[in-house]
Amino acid sequence: MDKSLWLLMLACALGTFLLRALPLIWMRRHLLHRSISNGTEAMPVWLTVLAPTMIAAMFGVSLVPANPGISSWFATMLGGLCTILVWQRTRSLGWPVCTGVAVYGGVVVLLKMIG
Amino acid sequence: MSSIEAVKNSAWQQGARDALPLLGGYIPVAISFGLIAVQSGFSALETVLISALIYAGASQFLFIAMVASGAPLWLVLVMTLLINARHLVYGPNIAPYLSNSRWWPVLMHGLTDQIFALAHTRLPQLQQKDRMGWYISAALIAWGSWIVGTAVGAVAGAEITSRWPLLGEVMPFALPALFLVLIAPRFTSLQWSLTMLVTIVVALLLKLIGMTNSAIPLAALCGVSLFYLVQAKLKAEGKIHG
Repeated sequence: MDKSLWLLMLACALGTFLLRALPLIWMRRHLLHRSISNGTEAMPVWLTVLAPTMIAAMFGVSLVPANPGISSWFATMLGGLCTILVWQRTRSLGWPVCTGVAVYGGVVVLLKMIG
Repeated sequence: MSSIEAVKNSAWQQGARDALPLLGGYIPVAISFGLIAVQSGFSALETVLISALIYAGASQFLFIAMVASGAPLWLVLVMTLLINARHLVYGPNIAPYLSNSRWWPVLMHGLTDQIFALAHTRLPQLQQKDRMGWYISAALIAWGSWIVGTAVGAVAGAEITSRWPLLGEVMPFALPALFLVLIAPRFTSLQWSLTMLVTIVVALLLKLIGMTNSAIPLAALCGVSLFYLVQAKLKAEGKIHG
């Protein structure tokens, strides 16, 4: 990379960092000014709704398989179903994810062997 | 080991355990990035530095593609920042759970989509003193895996993808599985269930029609709008007050 590309890369890195850090600093000052012990009460309601919907949107986007096809959609459905079933039993993070990946992988491999 | 050390260790260990599922999603994508960047003419060192410093998946791919195609540098910068603009709402959402330590803003370098999703769920469950240890542990594992995956992709990406093609197909399912576990507790009422379901479907459809980069903020805005619509309807029917 020449000098201008290095500068561009550093500008992109700094800009991305500021997008993550500055809103936090702003909210901390806002909470400090309001002097509220429970910070969540001082947050705008729309912001507390936006956070879970952002995570739901990440889920929706990540559902699309790398190679979309009937078999990968079927594997996604079964993997998701097993993930949620294990989560209902364990209420943990690791086991449901491991199970989901194992089921998804198993179905993908099985369907490749069959067809 | 004293009890204080034990608590500290458990917060760090908890962070590491919570971040482990991310590796399934991060490493295959990071390997792909390393491979594509080297094929686009970047050196292995430059590729790793891009991953370490910018540390934002979609915008890194865009950065490489635009630079390789000879796009104006100012446009590369604007597009990179536009793609990452959704990060603006992450910090304020976790701010109520953070102490006044001056290190928190610095640690926001590690606040990716996935770390935000994890932190938003886990931080409220932890005691104040354990939160920084948990966050550093989880963020370092994610950041480290992204950097190592990029390096592996830059050096041996072509060989890995040809030898184990299924690995890159199966492991990324860890991300939807993780997000599913994180949003499942939200399905507590009709209002929240409708909001979450519509958001998921809109995001899925936007991704399918190729609007990958704008899918997350657009779908989330649809979800928020629906949340308020349902709330207004429930208020009008007298089912909720306020």
